[in-house]
Amino acid sequence: MAPPSAAAVDTPNVTDPSLYLEGIPHDRFAQIRATPGLAWHPYEDGGFWAVTRHAEVRHVSRNPELFSSAIGHTNLWDLEADALEARRSLIDTDAPDHTRLRRLVAGAFTPKNIRRWEETVRAITGELLDEFVAQGGGDWVDMVAAPLPIQVILTMLGVPTDDADYLVELSNYLVEGTGDAQSIPPDAFGNTTELRLLPFNSPASHALFEYGEGMRQQRQNDLRDDLVSHLVQAESDVERMSRNEYRNMFHLLVFAGNETTRTAISHGGMALAAFPDEWGRVLADPGLIDSSAEEILRWATPVMHMRRTATTDTELAGTPIAEGDKVVMWYASANRDEAVFEDPFRFDVSRANGDHFAFGGGGPHLCLGAFLARLEVTVLLEEMAKRSICLEQTSEPVRARSNFVHGVLSVGMQPAGGTN
Amino acid sequence: MAGEEMVRVAVDQELCIGAGVCELLEPEVFELDNDIVISSVTGDELLPRARADVVVDRCPSRAIAIVEEEL
Repeated sequence: MAPPSAAAVDTPNVTDPSLYLEGIPHDRFAQIRATPGLAWHPYEDGGFWAVTRHAEVRHVSRNPELFSSAIGHTNLWDLEADALEARRSLIDTDAPDHTRLRRLVAGAFTPKNIRRWEETVRAITGELLDEFVAQGGGDWVDMVAAPLPIQVILTMLGVPTDDADYLVELSNYLVEGTGDAQSIPPDAFGNTTELRLLPFNSPASHALFEYGEGMRQQRQNDLRDDLVSHLVQAESDVERMSRNEYRNMFHLLVFAGNETTRTAISHGGMALAAFPDEWGRVLADPGLIDSSAEEILRWATPVMHMRRTATTDTELAGTPIAEGDKVVMWYASANRDEAVFEDPFRFDVSRANGDHFAFGGGGPHLCLGAFLARLEVTVLLEEMAKRSICLEQTSEPVRARSNFVHGVLSVGMQPAGGTN
Repeated sequence: MAGEEMVRVAVDQELCIGAGVCELLEPEVFELDNDIVISSVTGDELLPRARADVVVDRCPSRAIAIVEEEL
């Protein structure tokens, strides 16, 4: 690990999970962005290069041969070799393993194939919004932001939507695992595996693995037209997918398929409530729906960073990077980079530049669910507009204690001026 | 105008991860095979250079290239 240069020791801390209880520490990121070169950020026994500007995040993201996803870990802390193998998912691979695993699921998530789910998404969304209005509001996360994406991804997977609440509960524990304070004991859910071998060091990962194994056994003799059946067929040929790859893929699809879009919708609701004039512009001109969905994604930045590891000595922003150094792409910062986004702290539903990094900074790890998430956010805005739902925030958000997931656990909302 | 120049594009099928971005941007030129989830160039494979540059840039796995040749 490279020694920090004298100039870098003043880098403000952006990893303390408790900071995020108050939201993204944007002032700290702005300070790092304004400092020439890359900032060295101390972390545990070592540290990492904090990549905070849009152009440089893009460079790291788009050059996987220089910046590997398969070495060390894609989170800030390194894993032991056996833990990395046990936990390795699509996220933690480089080509050719990444290409092989990605192709197994990519077909379900292409823009063309995602469009086939539009009516399903619309029906689920309409039902949730009608209930939200009928109840006079409530917890926006509980009533809309969480159930919409989990019901959609479970439908695609072929998992019973009756289990949505349980799988959201597991996801909440996984988010806790990305922070520094877990509320459940190591043996929760009957777990006996060492936590370091489980994704996010969470016993909830054991429960999700068990659930995925149950689905695998069910589908093995009863193949259907769903994503789990597709994976089970692939897993029957070890050249295509191993059992361990199956369980990590199932884990990833359920967790990333619900938690991230939930976060986007949570922040989206908060933004629409905070900037009613902007929502008013959308209501007056439905042509702004697409750009407002992109602005919500930029605003929300559901995944705040990903880490890479340098495969060779290289250089970025004039700063030398040594082979083996950790390099962390802070999407949360790049999405507020004043060099790319004019007036970046303004929520602007007609923003012309949609080059945000809500789905990563480009390159092969482009979010698998990007087009599904766009569909969900777009349909939500369309259905809200159709019902003339304006949101009023009734309580402060409870935010996740995490520097990784920009999660909102709850936030009160009520409809104002609905036409029901 | 360089924008009028028509170029041929090709997909490196080893690199393609099946994201489908090319199929979204240029449905007349690219098509993903739903079984193997790999993109290929279909019949009408010429694109104005400016549009080809966009799809080359937007391909997440850098699998698309402009084939430089005398047309």
